Amino acid sequence: MTSPRRTDLGVPLAVSRTAWYLLCAVLSVFMLLPLFWMITIALKGNGDILQFPPSFLPKEIHLENFVVGPAQINFYQMLGNTLIVTVLATVGSVLSSMLVGYGLARIPFPGRKVWFYLFTASMFLPPIVGIIPLLRLYVTLGVADTWVPLIAPAWLANPVFIFLARQYFSAIPYSLDEAAKIDGAGYLRTFFTVMLPLTRPLWMTMAILAFQATWNDYLNPLIFLTTESRFVLSLGMASFSGQFAGVATTQYNYYMATNLLYMLPPLLLFFLAQRYFMDGLSALGTTASK
Amino acid sequence: MATESATVASVRQQHAIVPLSRRKWWRRRRRDIGAGYAFIAPAIIGFTVLVAYPIVFSAYHAFTDWNGLTPAVWSGWHNFQYLFTQDPTFWPSIKATAIYTLLAVPSTLLVGLGLAVLLNRALAGARWFRTIFFLPVVLPAVAVLTLWKYLYDPQYGLANQLLTALHLPTSLWLGSTRMALPSIVIIGLWGCGATMMIFLAGLQTVPAELHEAARIDGAGPIRSFCHVTMPMLTPILLLQVVLQINQAFQAFTQVQLLTNGGPDNTTNMLMYKIYADGFQNFSKFPQLGYATAEVWILFMLILVVTALTVRTSSLWVYADNTRD
Repeated sequence: MTSPRRTDLGVPLAVSRTAWYLLCAVLSVFMLLPLFWMITIALKGNGDILQFPPSFLPKEIHLENFVVGPAQINFYQMLGNTLIVTVLATVGSVLSSMLVGYGLARIPFPGRKVWFYLFTASMFLPPIVGIIPLLRLYVTLGVADTWVPLIAPAWLANPVFIFLARQYFSAIPYSLDEAAKIDGAGYLRTFFTVMLPLTRPLWMTMAILAFQATWNDYLNPLIFLTTESRFVLSLGMASFSGQFAGVATTQYNYYMATNLLYMLPPLLLFFLAQRYFMDGLSALGTTASK
Repeated sequence: MATESATVASVRQQHAIVPLSRRKWWRRRRRDIGAGYAFIAPAIIGFTVLVAYPIVFSAYHAFTDWNGLTPAVWSGWHNFQYLFTQDPTFWPSIKATAIYTLLAVPSTLLVGLGLAVLLNRALAGARWFRTIFFLPVVLPAVAVLTLWKYLYDPQYGLANQLLTALHLPTSLWLGSTRMALPSIVIIGLWGCGATMMIFLAGLQTVPAELHEAARIDGAGPIRSFCHVTMPMLTPILLLQVVLQINQAFQAFTQVQLLTNGGPDNTTNMLMYKIYADGFQNFSKFPQLGYATAEVWILFMLILVVTALTVRTSSLWVYADNTRD
């Protein structure tokens, strides 16, 4: 009989594996428990919520929470607002950052290194530094309390994306540009017909990160929007919870049901595009450290 | 001048395939300059409007008495003087920011690295666990924070119920002066999946031959981690430290949604104080000039701490001189 295989620490492999699975399972419970709890609250009835100590599982399923809850804050109007803002900001930041990254990486012109360093350095400027001056600017331009402050900056390229795009474009062989040039394509044409198809993983990643960031943003809408009919969901959800601050009230089941609906789009996106998501972060980590 | 001639040389090199007459070369070069600037124009406008203008604007308005409606009045160092000597919440906010940073940054790095090491194994299911640990990262902050606010509810929250079930003492969590900041840090730890992913990517770049070599030299897994893996990870660690410090100094949504700076100013971090002074304290009337002065203090703090981190990093970041 052969002896069981052992790890470097001299522990039998089977034991080490079991321990690993156990540890991961316990940690997973910690990660998922809050979400699970949220779902059970979203399904509970009013009476169930007030019961003390609360039961872990709902006594009966109350799916009407998903209708009653959203109705309390004009959820669907805000959902529309959020979608418009998010889609426009996402398209803008991806397109402008890709163009800038391409320009910096593949067009030889004096000063491009200096600009690259300036753009990269502005990554580290805390957003709060911009908020008061920009608010003043938007008031002067008459676009405060509209969606312009939430969308327009995205069209002016994102420093992190510029950095990623430049690194990515720099790694593409120059013979492709030469071939396109011989075929008579200018830089813009080369960008759209040669580079965009080649860099699909890059801009998919950017799009996902940008969508996520805009959907989840809270500080900017909080400062720039005051009219409730223009609110995005992050503001709407915050004011929803504000009504019940501190104490657990009968309404928490409505709140959690609405909160789940608010989380759904980014969650779906995550499950559909997991790979791009994680690749984006990994790329940021590994290229930035080089 | 040196960079200029280097650019010229690289331009020459790239176009050396077809020898050009001097005039043609210049025409092409002008076209490149035009195209280049056209391509980076969005970022130049962005840099001007979103970075340069705010810096200049804030630098001036920090020295003014300005409420955002009536014209700003020059007041010299008065804002800063008042902040440092008279504002009753300024020093508490510095203290809260410092404690939060000291708690949040190391714990996020440790947990993130721990999870990354745990998941850096080629076992079936590792992908699943990675997805689960990453999941909280993609959820909107507002959704996460209000969920946790309910979890922390002293009476109905899951946190105290679990503690009761385990016969452990319960806590007021966000309502307790001692536990409020740690409670906020715990929520951050729940979302440390992004840190985990970046470390995981770093771990996967460590060449297996190095571990092989260490094993042949008689190193166990712990020694091989400390002497092979860790040095290779230090550049990523530096990036993470800088990013995390930045994030911690700018913690805002947590405070605004969970505690409003309370109890007793223990969570009144500088970012929240800026918001409260500039946009919220209508009893005092919004003081945008004053808030701008506070923004500069925050900015300077971030700058100094980041610079110190990067400066001292040569002591602990392993530089591979063979890499270009």
